Amino acid sequence: MSKQMSPSRPLCWVFCALLLGGCGGMTRVQLESSFPTLLIEPRELRAAVIMSPEFSQYVATPNKNMTLEIGASQRSILEKTFGGLIDEVVFVDAAELIEQPQDIIIRPSVVEVQVAVPSENYLNVYEVWIKYNLAISDGDDNPIENWFMPVYGKTASAFMLQKDAAVGSATTIALRDIGAKLSLDFYRIPALQSYIDERRREAAR
Amino acid sequence: MRVIGLWLALLGVAGCSTTTTIDEYRSSDEQLQVASGDRVVLLGRRDAGHYETDAEFVECVGDKLRSSTLAVMPEQTFMDALYPWLEPRTAPKGLLRMRRLMQEPQVAKVIADQAIRYFVWLDGSTETLDKGGSISCAAGPGGAGCFGFAKWDKASIYEAIVWDLSDFTEVARVRVDSEGTSYLIGAVAPIPLLTPVKSDACKSLGKQLKALFVSDG
Repeated sequence: MSKQMSPSRPLCWVFCALLLGGCGGMTRVQLESSFPTLLIEPRELRAAVIMSPEFSQYVATPNKNMTLEIGASQRSILEKTFGGLIDEVVFVDAAELIEQPQDIIIRPSVVEVQVAVPSENYLNVYEVWIKYNLAISDGDDNPIENWFMPVYGKTASAFMLQKDAAVGSATTIALRDIGAKLSLDFYRIPALQSYIDERRREAAR
Repeated sequence: MRVIGLWLALLGVAGCSTTTTIDEYRSSDEQLQVASGDRVVLLGRRDAGHYETDAEFVECVGDKLRSSTLAVMPEQTFMDALYPWLEPRTAPKGLLRMRRLMQEPQVAKVIADQAIRYFVWLDGSTETLDKGGSISCAAGPGGAGCFGFAKWDKASIYEAIVWDLSDFTEVARVRVDSEGTSYLIGAVAPIPLLTPVKSDACKSLGKQLKALFVSDG
Protein backbone atom coordinates (compact mmCIF):
# COMPACT_ATOMS: atom_id res chain seq x y z
CA MET A 1 0.00 0.00 0.00
CA SER A 2 1.49 3.28 -0.99
CA LYS A 3 1.17 6.24 1.30
CA GLN A 4 0.41 9.49 -0.45
CA MET A 5 1.61 12.72 1.14
CA SER A 6 -0.97 15.46 1.45
CA PRO A 7 -0.12 18.34 -0.92
CA SER A 8 -0.50 20.80 1.95
CA ARG A 9 2.10 19.03 4.09
CA PRO A 10 5.12 20.87 2.62
CA LEU A 11 3.21 24.11 3.29
CA CYS A 12 2.80 23.00 6.89
CA TRP A 13 6.57 22.55 7.28
CA VAL A 14 7.15 26.01 5.78
CA PHE A 15 4.73 27.55 8.30
CA CYS A 16 6.29 25.67 11.21
CA ALA A 17 9.78 26.79 10.13
CA LEU A 18 8.57 30.38 9.76
CA LEU A 19 6.97 30.28 13.20
CA LEU A 20 10.08 28.90 14.84
CA GLY A 21 12.46 31.18 12.96
CA GLY A 22 10.38 34.33 13.01
CA CYS A 23 9.15 34.47 16.59
CA GLY A 24 12.30 35.01 18.57
CA GLY A 25 15.66 33.34 18.43
CA MET A 26 19.04 34.94 18.93
CA THR A 27 20.21 37.85 16.83
CA ARG A 28 23.96 37.61 16.45
CA VAL A 29 25.69 40.35 14.51
CA GLN A 30 29.30 39.88 13.51
CA LEU A 31 30.75 43.00 11.93
CA GLU A 32 33.57 42.79 9.47
CA SER A 33 33.29 46.35 8.27
CA SER A 34 36.15 48.20 6.66
CA PHE A 35 36.12 51.93 7.02
CA PRO A 36 37.41 54.67 4.73
CA THR A 37 40.27 57.00 5.57
CA LEU A 38 39.26 60.38 6.95
CA LEU A 39 39.45 63.34 4.61
CA ILE A 40 40.86 65.71 7.19
CA GLU A 41 44.11 67.52 7.92
CA PRO A 42 45.77 66.05 11.05
CA ARG A 43 46.86 68.45 13.78
CA GLU A 44 50.30 68.57 15.27
CA LEU A 45 50.04 66.46 18.40
CA ARG A 46 51.57 63.27 19.80
CA ALA A 47 49.09 60.82 21.22
CA ALA A 48 48.83 57.24 22.39
CA VAL A 49 45.49 55.50 22.17
CA ILE A 50 45.15 52.55 24.53
CA MET A 51 42.68 49.97 23.32
CA SER A 52 42.71 47.02 25.69
CA PRO A 53 42.11 43.48 24.39
CA GLU A 54 38.73 43.68 26.15
CA PHE A 55 37.82 46.74 24.05
CA SER A 56 39.18 45.23 20.82
CA GLN A 57 37.15 42.04 21.32
CA TYR A 58 34.09 43.71 22.80
CA VAL A 59 30.79 41.91 22.41
CA ALA A 60 27.73 43.98 23.28
CA THR A 61 24.57 42.37 24.62
CA PRO A 62 21.92 45.10 24.38
CA ASN A 63 19.29 42.55 25.40
CA LYS A 64 19.15 38.85 26.24
CA ASN A 65 18.38 37.87 22.65
CA MET A 66 21.01 39.91 20.89
CA THR A 67 24.79 40.03 20.66
CA LEU A 68 26.82 42.51 18.62
CA GLU A 69 30.46 41.64 18.02
CA ILE A 70 31.78 45.16 17.48
CA GLY A 71 35.25 44.95 19.06
CA ALA A 72 37.39 44.63 15.92
CA SER A 73 35.32 47.15 13.97
CA GLN A 74 35.36 49.80 16.69
CA ARG A 75 39.13 49.41 16.99
CA SER A 76 39.46 49.74 13.22
CA ILE A 77 37.37 52.93 12.96
CA LEU A 78 39.11 54.51 15.97
CA GLU A 79 42.51 53.78 14.41
CA LYS A 80 41.38 55.40 11.16
CA THR A 81 39.83 58.37 12.97
CA PHE A 82 42.66 59.21 15.36
CA GLY A 83 45.13 58.51 12.54
CA GLY A 84 43.33 61.20 10.55
CA LEU A 85 42.96 63.71 13.40
CA ILE A 86 46.37 63.47 15.03
CA ASP A 87 49.76 63.92 13.41
CA GLU A 88 51.71 61.34 15.45
CA VAL A 89 49.62 58.62 17.03
CA VAL A 90 50.39 55.15 18.35
CA PHE A 91 47.89 52.43 19.21
CA VAL A 92 48.74 50.08 22.05
CA ASP A 93 46.99 47.43 24.09
CA ALA A 94 48.26 48.67 27.48
CA ALA A 95 49.84 51.79 29.01
CA GLU A 96 53.11 49.89 29.70
CA LEU A 97 53.64 49.53 25.95
CA ILE A 98 53.91 53.28 25.34
CA GLU A 99 57.56 53.88 24.48
CA GLN A 100 57.83 57.56 23.54
CA PRO A 101 56.70 60.58 25.58
CA GLN A 102 53.24 61.69 24.47
CA ASP A 103 51.20 64.89 24.67
CA ILE A 104 48.00 63.03 25.45
CA ILE A 105 46.85 59.50 26.23
CA ILE A 106 43.35 58.39 25.22
CA ARG A 107 41.52 55.37 26.63
CA PRO A 108 38.25 54.63 24.85
CA SER A 109 35.67 52.38 26.48
CA VAL A 110 32.09 51.36 25.77
CA VAL A 111 29.60 52.61 28.33
CA GLU A 112 26.34 51.36 26.85
CA VAL A 113 24.84 49.86 23.70
CA GLN A 114 21.13 50.14 22.88
CA VAL A 115 19.19 48.71 19.96
CA ALA A 116 15.61 49.48 18.91
CA VAL A 117 13.74 47.43 16.33
CA PRO A 118 10.49 48.37 14.50
CA SER A 119 8.34 46.35 16.92
CA GLU A 120 9.67 48.49 19.78
CA ASN A 121 9.97 51.97 18.29
CA TYR A 122 6.89 51.71 16.02
CA LEU A 123 8.93 53.15 13.16
CA ASN A 124 10.17 51.49 9.99
CA VAL A 125 13.75 51.72 11.17
CA TYR A 126 16.30 49.72 13.14
CA GLU A 127 18.33 51.95 15.46
CA VAL A 128 21.63 51.48 17.29
CA TRP A 129 23.14 53.78 19.91
CA ILE A 130 26.61 53.27 21.32
CA LYS A 131 27.84 55.45 24.14
CA TYR A 132 31.63 55.67 24.45
CA ASN A 133 33.79 57.26 27.08
CA LEU A 134 37.11 58.73 26.08
CA ALA A 135 39.31 59.07 29.15
CA ILE A 136 41.88 61.68 28.09
CA SER A 137 44.98 62.27 30.17
CA ASP A 138 48.22 64.18 29.73
CA GLY A 139 51.60 62.61 28.94
CA ASP A 140 52.13 61.83 32.66
CA ASP A 141 48.71 60.18 32.81
CA ASN A 142 47.07 62.95 34.83
CA PRO A 143 43.38 63.14 33.86
CA ILE A 144 42.30 65.96 31.54
CA GLU A 145 38.74 64.94 30.73
CA ASN A 146 36.29 62.06 30.68
CA TRP A 147 34.38 62.78 27.50
CA PHE A 148 31.21 60.89 26.69
CA MET A 149 30.58 60.34 23.03
CA PRO A 150 27.23 58.94 21.88
CA VAL A 151 27.06 57.68 18.30
CA TYR A 152 23.96 56.66 16.40
CA GLY A 153 23.02 54.68 13.33
CA LYS A 154 19.75 53.66 11.77
CA THR A 155 18.66 51.68 8.76
CA ALA A 156 15.30 51.42 7.03
CA SER A 157 13.49 48.14 7.44
CA ALA A 158 12.83 46.51 4.10
CA PHE A 159 10.44 43.76 3.17
CA MET A 160 11.90 40.41 4.24
CA LEU A 161 15.18 42.04 5.33
CA GLN A 162 16.71 39.86 8.00
CA LYS A 163 16.92 41.36 11.45
CA ASP A 164 20.62 40.45 11.74
CA ALA A 165 21.42 42.25 8.49
CA ALA A 166 19.37 45.33 9.44
CA VAL A 167 20.92 45.62 12.92
CA GLY A 168 24.37 45.00 11.39
CA SER A 169 23.84 47.81 8.88
CA ALA A 170 22.63 50.22 11.61
CA THR A 171 25.67 49.29 13.75
CA THR A 172 28.05 49.99 10.86
CA ILE A 173 26.43 53.41 10.39
CA ALA A 174 26.77 54.06 14.14
CA LEU A 175 30.47 53.14 13.97
CA ARG A 176 30.96 55.44 10.95
CA ASP A 177 29.39 58.14 13.11
CA ILE A 178 32.48 57.91 15.36
CA GLY A 179 34.54 59.46 12.55
CA ALA A 180 31.95 62.19 11.99
CA LYS A 181 31.51 62.98 15.68
CA LEU A 182 35.23 63.11 16.46
CA SER A 183 36.01 65.16 13.33
CA LEU A 184 33.54 67.79 14.47
CA ASP A 185 34.06 67.76 18.22
CA PHE A 186 37.37 66.25 19.30
CA TYR A 187 39.35 69.51 19.23
CA ARG A 188 36.37 71.37 20.68
CA ILE A 189 36.44 69.46 23.99
CA PRO A 190 36.98 72.49 26.28
CA ALA A 191 39.45 70.83 28.69
CA LEU A 192 41.48 69.34 25.84
CA GLN A 193 41.47 72.62 23.92
CA SER A 194 42.75 74.49 27.02
CA TYR A 195 45.43 71.86 27.60
CA ILE A 196 46.67 72.00 23.99
CA ASP A 197 46.66 75.83 24.00
CA GLU A 198 48.59 75.84 27.29
CA ARG A 199 51.20 73.45 25.87
CA ARG A 200 51.59 75.64 22.79
CA ARG A 201 52.08 78.72 24.91
CA GLU A 202 54.69 76.89 26.99
CA ALA A 203 56.49 75.70 23.87
CA ALA A 204 56.50 79.25 22.46
CA ARG A 205 58.13 80.69 25.60
CA MET B 1 -13.95 28.33 -9.57
CA ARG B 2 -14.35 30.46 -12.68
CA VAL B 3 -15.95 33.21 -10.58
CA ILE B 4 -13.00 33.25 -8.17
CA GLY B 5 -10.60 33.35 -11.10
CA LEU B 6 -12.44 36.29 -12.61
CA TRP B 7 -12.52 38.03 -9.26
CA LEU B 8 -8.77 37.57 -8.83
CA ALA B 9 -8.10 38.79 -12.34
CA LEU B 10 -10.22 41.88 -11.70
CA LEU B 11 -8.38 42.57 -8.46
CA GLY B 12 -5.08 42.05 -10.22
CA VAL B 13 -5.93 44.56 -12.90
CA ALA B 14 -7.77 47.13 -10.81
CA GLY B 15 -6.09 46.69 -7.46
CA CYS B 16 -2.41 46.41 -8.23
CA SER B 17 -2.02 49.77 -9.88
CA THR B 18 -0.47 52.87 -8.44
CA THR B 19 -1.39 56.51 -8.69
CA THR B 20 1.72 58.60 -9.17
CA THR B 21 1.89 62.38 -9.11
CA ILE B 22 5.01 64.31 -10.04
CA ASP B 23 5.67 67.95 -9.24
CA GLU B 24 8.65 69.63 -10.77
CA TYR B 25 10.29 72.97 -10.24
CA ARG B 26 13.18 74.27 -12.32
CA SER B 27 15.06 77.51 -11.93
CA SER B 28 15.28 77.78 -15.72
CA ASP B 29 13.53 76.31 -18.76
CA GLU B 30 16.78 75.02 -20.15
CA GLN B 31 18.04 71.49 -19.49
CA LEU B 32 20.96 71.02 -17.12
CA GLN B 33 24.18 70.67 -19.09
CA VAL B 34 26.54 67.86 -18.14
CA ALA B 35 29.87 68.26 -19.92
CA SER B 36 31.67 65.22 -21.26
CA GLY B 37 33.47 63.54 -18.37
CA ASP B 38 31.37 65.26 -15.70
CA ARG B 39 29.28 63.19 -13.34
CA VAL B 40 26.17 63.39 -11.21
CA VAL B 41 25.94 61.88 -7.74
CA LEU B 42 22.75 60.87 -5.95
CA LEU B 43 22.76 61.03 -2.17
CA GLY B 44 20.10 60.03 0.35
CA ARG B 45 19.12 62.37 3.17
CA ARG B 46 19.36 60.53 6.47
CA ASP B 47 18.94 63.17 9.12
CA ALA B 48 15.20 62.79 9.74
CA GLY B 49 14.31 61.17 13.03
CA HIS B 50 11.42 58.93 12.07
CA TYR B 51 12.38 57.61 8.65
CA GLU B 52 15.39 56.81 6.53
CA THR B 53 15.89 57.37 2.81
CA ASP B 54 17.02 53.88 2.01
CA ALA B 55 20.14 53.22 -0.03
CA GLU B 56 18.25 50.72 -2.18
CA PHE B 57 15.93 53.48 -3.46
CA VAL B 58 18.87 55.81 -4.14
CA GLU B 59 20.57 53.03 -6.10
CA CYS B 60 17.36 52.33 -8.04
CA VAL B 61 16.96 55.98 -9.09
CA GLY B 62 20.67 56.09 -9.97
CA ASP B 63 20.24 53.07 -12.24
CA LYS B 64 17.30 54.73 -14.01
CA LEU B 65 19.23 57.97 -14.45
CA ARG B 66 22.46 56.38 -15.66
CA SER B 67 22.88 56.14 -19.42
CA SER B 68 25.64 55.81 -21.98
CA THR B 69 26.02 59.60 -21.98
CA LEU B 70 25.24 60.43 -18.35
CA ALA B 71 27.62 59.09 -15.70
CA VAL B 72 26.20 58.64 -12.20
CA MET B 73 28.56 57.95 -9.33
CA PRO B 74 27.46 55.29 -6.80
CA GLU B 75 26.43 56.83 -3.49
CA GLN B 76 28.53 54.67 -1.17
CA THR B 77 31.71 55.13 -3.23
CA PHE B 78 31.29 58.90 -3.07
CA MET B 79 30.45 58.89 0.65
CA ASP B 80 33.62 56.87 1.30
CA ALA B 81 35.71 59.24 -0.83
CA LEU B 82 34.44 62.23 1.19
CA TYR B 83 34.28 60.47 4.57
CA PRO B 84 33.23 61.79 7.10
CA TRP B 85 31.65 64.84 5.44
CA LEU B 86 28.52 63.17 4.00
CA GLU B 87 27.50 61.16 7.06
CA PRO B 88 24.05 61.88 8.58
CA ARG B 89 25.69 64.06 11.25
CA THR B 90 27.88 66.08 8.89
CA ALA B 91 26.15 66.21 5.47
CA PRO B 92 25.50 69.80 4.35
CA LYS B 93 21.80 70.62 4.61
CA GLY B 94 22.03 73.87 2.69
CA LEU B 95 24.09 75.48 -0.05
CA LEU B 96 25.79 77.84 2.40
CA ARG B 97 27.22 74.90 4.31
CA MET B 98 28.13 73.16 1.04
CA ARG B 99 30.04 76.23 -0.10
CA ARG B 100 31.92 76.29 3.22
CA LEU B 101 32.70 72.57 2.91
CA MET B 102 34.12 73.14 -0.57
CA GLN B 103 36.52 75.66 0.91
CA GLU B 104 38.33 72.70 2.49
CA PRO B 105 41.07 72.01 -0.07
CA GLN B 106 40.88 68.21 0.38
CA VAL B 107 37.12 68.16 -0.17
CA ALA B 108 37.35 70.42 -3.22
CA LYS B 109 40.10 68.22 -4.66
CA VAL B 110 38.06 65.01 -4.33
CA ILE B 111 35.03 66.64 -5.97
CA ALA B 112 37.21 68.02 -8.77
CA ASP B 113 39.04 64.69 -9.25
CA GLN B 114 35.74 62.82 -9.42
CA ALA B 115 34.37 65.44 -11.85
CA ILE B 116 31.15 65.87 -9.88
CA ARG B 117 29.04 68.68 -11.32
CA TYR B 118 25.62 68.01 -9.73
CA PHE B 119 24.48 66.71 -6.35
CA VAL B 120 21.00 65.18 -6.33
CA TRP B 121 19.68 64.84 -2.77
CA LEU B 122 16.90 62.30 -2.36
CA ASP B 123 14.69 62.56 0.68
CA GLY B 124 11.65 60.47 1.54
CA SER B 125 10.32 57.07 2.44
CA THR B 126 7.68 54.47 1.74
CA GLU B 127 5.11 54.06 4.49
CA THR B 128 2.12 51.81 5.09
CA LEU B 129 -0.83 54.16 5.58
CA ASP B 130 -3.76 51.89 6.30
CA LYS B 131 -4.40 48.21 6.86
CA GLY B 132 -7.68 46.34 6.70
CA GLY B 133 -9.19 42.87 6.70
CA SER B 134 -7.81 39.83 8.40
CA ILE B 135 -6.20 36.62 7.36
CA SER B 136 -5.49 33.66 9.56
CA CYS B 137 -3.25 30.72 8.90
CA ALA B 138 -3.28 27.38 10.66
CA ALA B 139 -0.99 24.41 10.46
CA GLY B 140 -1.38 20.90 11.77
CA PRO B 141 0.11 17.47 11.12
CA GLY B 142 -2.44 16.87 8.35
CA GLY B 143 -1.92 20.11 6.46
CA ALA B 144 -1.93 23.88 6.57
CA GLY B 145 -3.80 26.73 5.03
CA CYS B 146 -4.71 30.40 5.16
CA PHE B 147 -8.18 31.90 4.99
CA GLY B 148 -9.33 35.49 4.81
CA PHE B 149 -8.54 38.70 3.05
CA ALA B 150 -6.19 41.54 3.96
CA LYS B 151 -5.31 44.78 2.25
CA TRP B 152 -2.95 47.62 2.94
CA ASP B 153 -2.29 51.02 1.38
CA LYS B 154 1.23 52.20 0.80
CA ALA B 155 2.56 55.61 -0.13
CA SER B 156 5.99 56.53 -1.43
CA ILE B 157 6.81 60.21 -1.12
CA TYR B 158 10.24 61.32 -2.27
CA GLU B 159 11.77 64.63 -3.20
CA ALA B 160 14.90 65.17 -5.26
CA ILE B 161 16.78 68.44 -4.94
CA VAL B 162 19.47 69.18 -7.52
CA TRP B 163 22.47 71.36 -6.63
CA ASP B 164 24.80 72.74 -9.27
CA LEU B 165 28.27 72.75 -7.73
CA SER B 166 29.69 75.13 -10.36
CA ASP B 167 27.88 78.10 -8.81
CA PHE B 168 26.29 76.60 -5.65
CA THR B 169 22.70 77.04 -6.73
CA GLU B 170 19.61 74.88 -6.44
CA VAL B 171 18.59 74.25 -10.03
CA ALA B 172 15.67 71.85 -9.76
CA ARG B 173 13.29 70.11 -7.37
CA VAL B 174 11.22 67.05 -8.29
CA ARG B 175 8.66 65.51 -5.96
CA VAL B 176 7.05 62.16 -6.57
CA ASP B 177 4.01 60.94 -4.70
CA SER B 178 2.97 57.35 -5.44
CA GLU B 179 0.11 55.47 -3.77
CA GLY B 180 -1.37 52.02 -4.16
CA THR B 181 -3.16 49.17 -2.42
CA SER B 182 -1.89 45.62 -2.07
CA TYR B 183 -3.99 42.55 -1.27
CA LEU B 184 -3.42 39.19 0.32
CA ILE B 185 -6.05 36.55 -0.31
CA GLY B 186 -6.08 33.44 1.78
CA ALA B 187 -7.60 30.62 -0.28
CA VAL B 188 -5.75 27.70 1.34
CA ALA B 189 -2.51 29.08 -0.09
CA PRO B 190 -1.91 32.81 0.51
CA ILE B 191 -2.13 34.71 -2.79
CA PRO B 192 -0.35 38.07 -2.67
CA LEU B 193 -1.32 40.81 -5.12
CA LEU B 194 1.36 43.36 -4.44
CA THR B 195 1.38 46.87 -5.81
CA PRO B 196 4.93 48.04 -6.58
CA VAL B 197 4.50 51.52 -5.08
CA LYS B 198 8.17 52.11 -4.33
CA SER B 199 9.30 50.70 -7.64
CA ASP B 200 6.86 52.99 -9.49
CA ALA B 201 8.10 55.99 -7.49
CA CYS B 202 11.67 55.06 -8.46
CA LYS B 203 10.81 54.68 -12.15
CA SER B 204 8.87 57.95 -12.29
CA LEU B 205 11.50 59.92 -10.40
CA GLY B 206 14.33 58.43 -12.47
CA LYS B 207 12.54 59.25 -15.71
CA GLN B 208 11.78 62.81 -14.63
CA LEU B 209 15.34 63.42 -13.45
CA LYS B 210 16.72 61.98 -16.69
CA ALA B 211 14.68 64.54 -18.61
CA LEU B 212 16.34 67.33 -16.63
CA PHE B 213 19.86 66.57 -17.79
CA VAL B 214 21.41 66.86 -21.20
CA SER B 215 24.88 65.50 -21.76
CA ASP B 216 27.51 66.82 -24.17
CA GLY B 217 29.16 63.42 -24.29
